[in-house]
Amino acid sequence: MILNPFGTADWMAIAPIVALAIASLLVLLADLVARPAISRYGAVAIGLLGTAAAAVLAAMQYGHVYAAFFGGFVTGGFTTVFEEIVAIALAGSLALYATLGDPKRIGGTVALMLWGSCGAMLMAGAANLMTIFLGLELLSLALYCLCGMVDRRGARESALKYLILSSTASGFLLFGMALLFGASGSVLLADLARPQLAANPLFWMGSGLFLIGLAFKMSLVPFHAWAPDVYEGAPLPVTAYMSVATKAATLAVFARVLYAALPAGTASHVMLPVWIVAGISMIAGNVGMLAQHDLKRLLAYSGIAQVGYILTAMAGGSALGLRYAIYYLVAYTFMNLGAFAVATAISGEHEEGARLVSYAGLARRRPWLAAAMTFFMLALAGMPPTAGFLGKILILATSADSGYAWLGGLLVAGTAISLYAYAKVVRAMYLPQSGDHHVADLRPIAPLAWISVTLCLIGVIAMTFYPLTPSNVLPLLR
Amino acid sequence: MRLRGDVNVLAPIAILLPLVAGALLFVLPDDPRLGKIYGTLVAFATLVVVLLARHADWSVRWLARPFTAAFHVGPTPIGWWLALLLGLCTLCAVAATNLPRQRSFVAQLLLLEGTMIGLFFARDLLLFAFFWDAMLIPVFFVLLGWGSHPATAWRYFIYNFAGGLLLLFATAAFGVIYGSTDVIGQSGAPLIGAWAPWIFAGFALAFLVKTPVWPLHTWMPATYADAPSPLVAVVSAVQSKAGLYGFLVIGLAYLPTYVARFAPELVVLGAISLLYGATVALVQPDTKRVVAYSSLSHLGLIAIAIATRNPLALQGALVYIVAHGLFSTALFLILGYVEEREGTRSLIRLGGLGHANPRLTGAFTIAALAALGLPGLAGFVGEIVILSGVYQAGWTWAVIVALIAIVLASAYMLRLLQDAMNGPVVDDLPVRRDLTWIEGLAVAPLLIALLAIGIQPHAIMAAIAGAVR
Repeated sequence: MILNPFGTADWMAIAPIVALAIASLLVLLADLVARPAISRYGAVAIGLLGTAAAAVLAAMQYGHVYAAFFGGFVTGGFTTVFEEIVAIALAGSLALYATLGDPKRIGGTVALMLWGSCGAMLMAGAANLMTIFLGLELLSLALYCLCGMVDRRGARESALKYLILSSTASGFLLFGMALLFGASGSVLLADLARPQLAANPLFWMGSGLFLIGLAFKMSLVPFHAWAPDVYEGAPLPVTAYMSVATKAATLAVFARVLYAALPAGTASHVMLPVWIVAGISMIAGNVGMLAQHDLKRLLAYSGIAQVGYILTAMAGGSALGLRYAIYYLVAYTFMNLGAFAVATAISGEHEEGARLVSYAGLARRRPWLAAAMTFFMLALAGMPPTAGFLGKILILATSADSGYAWLGGLLVAGTAISLYAYAKVVRAMYLPQSGDHHVADLRPIAPLAWISVTLCLIGVIAMTFYPLTPSNVLPLLR
Repeated sequence: MRLRGDVNVLAPIAILLPLVAGALLFVLPDDPRLGKIYGTLVAFATLVVVLLARHADWSVRWLARPFTAAFHVGPTPIGWWLALLLGLCTLCAVAATNLPRQRSFVAQLLLLEGTMIGLFFARDLLLFAFFWDAMLIPVFFVLLGWGSHPATAWRYFIYNFAGGLLLLFATAAFGVIYGSTDVIGQSGAPLIGAWAPWIFAGFALAFLVKTPVWPLHTWMPATYADAPSPLVAVVSAVQSKAGLYGFLVIGLAYLPTYVARFAPELVVLGAISLLYGATVALVQPDTKRVVAYSSLSHLGLIAIAIATRNPLALQGALVYIVAHGLFSTALFLILGYVEEREGTRSLIRLGGLGHANPRLTGAFTIAALAALGLPGLAGFVGEIVILSGVYQAGWTWAVIVALIAIVLASAYMLRLLQDAMNGPVVDDLPVRRDLTWIEGLAVAPLLIALLAIGIQPHAIMAAIAGAVR
């Protein structure tokens, strides 16, 4: 007879994930029962309620470190923080679905987004290789479908491209995991920190392949080429979600490996290629951004560089660096979601807000939206008075402190380049002679997008003047 | 009557008043008269608050890690004079504004004033860097919205933002090493260590871009020529002084050994700016560009004075900073009036304005004489004290270069005066009205201040004490 090996505490540890799963089933059930189909607001409302429940449940575990499922899933400050970031990203993207997307497919879309977030939250707390892979695949599978959830050639291209390239990366990741398992004889991340592994070539090969997989998911140069194409084709809310949630979940895995799952003294060697790649990403991402005429592509390249900034904060491996990385990630979440919310607010059926030409003369047609967009662009560029400014200075301070000043230097150079691209959007909105020929205001009222814009604005400003960073993010494993 | 506790809160008020009032102006009805009257009243109120906030000191904790930082505001003695100059220049600029979409323009001017008062009131280096970047945004928007070439806006923004990033990096490194950025105007120990030269390099580059000093000046002539005169008046008079202010309160106070070590390089750059600016000003056909290049020249002289670290030269530098602010505001505002009336800035097409517009010509003459260093006006005091100090410090060749440039200054200022104001009336220029009393009132305070400082500069000179080690 097999006894159930898991206690209540184990199930409580994944309560936020369960809440999301229940919400997604409810959406599907409501879609089945409702005639002819679930309404747009109904689906989004259930999704947002589920997200709120998950966020509350995650917040309750903040101070409570517990290794559930034989160490497969660890709760605690770090996990909570990343779960909350995923919840914010989910809420911000669901809000956009209140105005965009095919109404007939809204039920399935919202359900998939909730399931994908289950995967992202699983990655946030994953403490063994299997949980990492489970979470990653759950997230990725949902995203493949979501990318194609609209009748458009670009969307199908996006979905297929993402499927093929992301599966390849998963292959690298899985192979790396297999080698790591071979080296340590355990799937637990904690066992990877054993000192005798440092002499094992399997460990080095395994961690190399594993990091290539992660670098792909974080869209670091030279594994970045998928990001602009996939972002461009995917529906706006999915792009918003991908640009934040996927990054956050992958960064959570990366941070856990960096801070807790490497033999002492090997971190600076194992991770050196990642720092180099991060440095290249900061330059290449920002240079790539200069030539873009599509907001989604622009923000895709921007994301490539922004991940580089976040990695710069972690480069020293200090606790403070991790906190600043989280600070910047949260700020980035707000800025990006805000920018996408503005894009949604001026979009109709054809996602006009995704094209930069739609912003010509926006300052006259929609002064408040233009002001908000300006604010988010300045935040992404790191201008005051935004959290982007403070985040950059915290990252620079950490890089100077931890001996990775060269990354700080690349950050400065990359940011200087990026200003042109971000200010291009601002210029389009404010240049007086620019024409009004691309008027796209098909939906004059998009209340949830407006609320999202406002909340993101408040978030970015508040973080500037009250720079709270979570204090108990370490230890990452038990 | 002592109101210490109440005085301190004036420092944040001086910053927030123009910022909030400027933002509020965007939601008020778009009426040009309303915008101007409102803006003038706010600018006047701000000037009064700045005047009263001389000893204010107000602080709230911002960061505890990785270094302590605070929203610490309150003018240093030097910063107070600069803020006062800014208040006066903004008031005059707003009063002289006569542009399309006037309400938005005045709002941007007020936002600019708020961020720059923040800069001069900041006692925390991080806050200084914050306002340093923030003050670029209103100028960028004005250049986009009112400038004649969008390319100018880009050049200004990207050049200065790059400088701002270096400042940011230097500030971060400073904070990590020093443990705190709450340092401006306080007598902390100088920064030492392996990082110090790099930090100095970051600060110095940022300051030199902003001033600007040759060869980092290329954003400046186009910006000064393309932007509307009231904005240029504020930017050239005060924003360009932010870099020099940074040298005084950060460079001299916390990195004095590096200022001393790199003094020859700084003096050479200053001397090149001095001569180059003067020579180009001599041949420019565009009135605003003449004044723009003359600014390059004058600021080069101030950069030399600061690099020598001689107390006398520094006293002269501060007087000259204020004097240059006053006469360049006056020059740009009056050239703006001319451009408005005649529709041209070309010295080839202008001429003989003095016959029809005696008041305009009179005001311009006073400002131009101050710029070329006529004794009795503020410019002369600044120049003579700087030259004595630089000579005292042993830089004889720099004094000789400066004297040549001063002769050239007389040449280009008189050329401006001669070609635009004097001479025969040009036939194809219709005769326009003379200065209205509002326009006259907008420049009168500047001219009076030039005379007052020319006679009694000691109060400003005293402010510099303690800045140098």
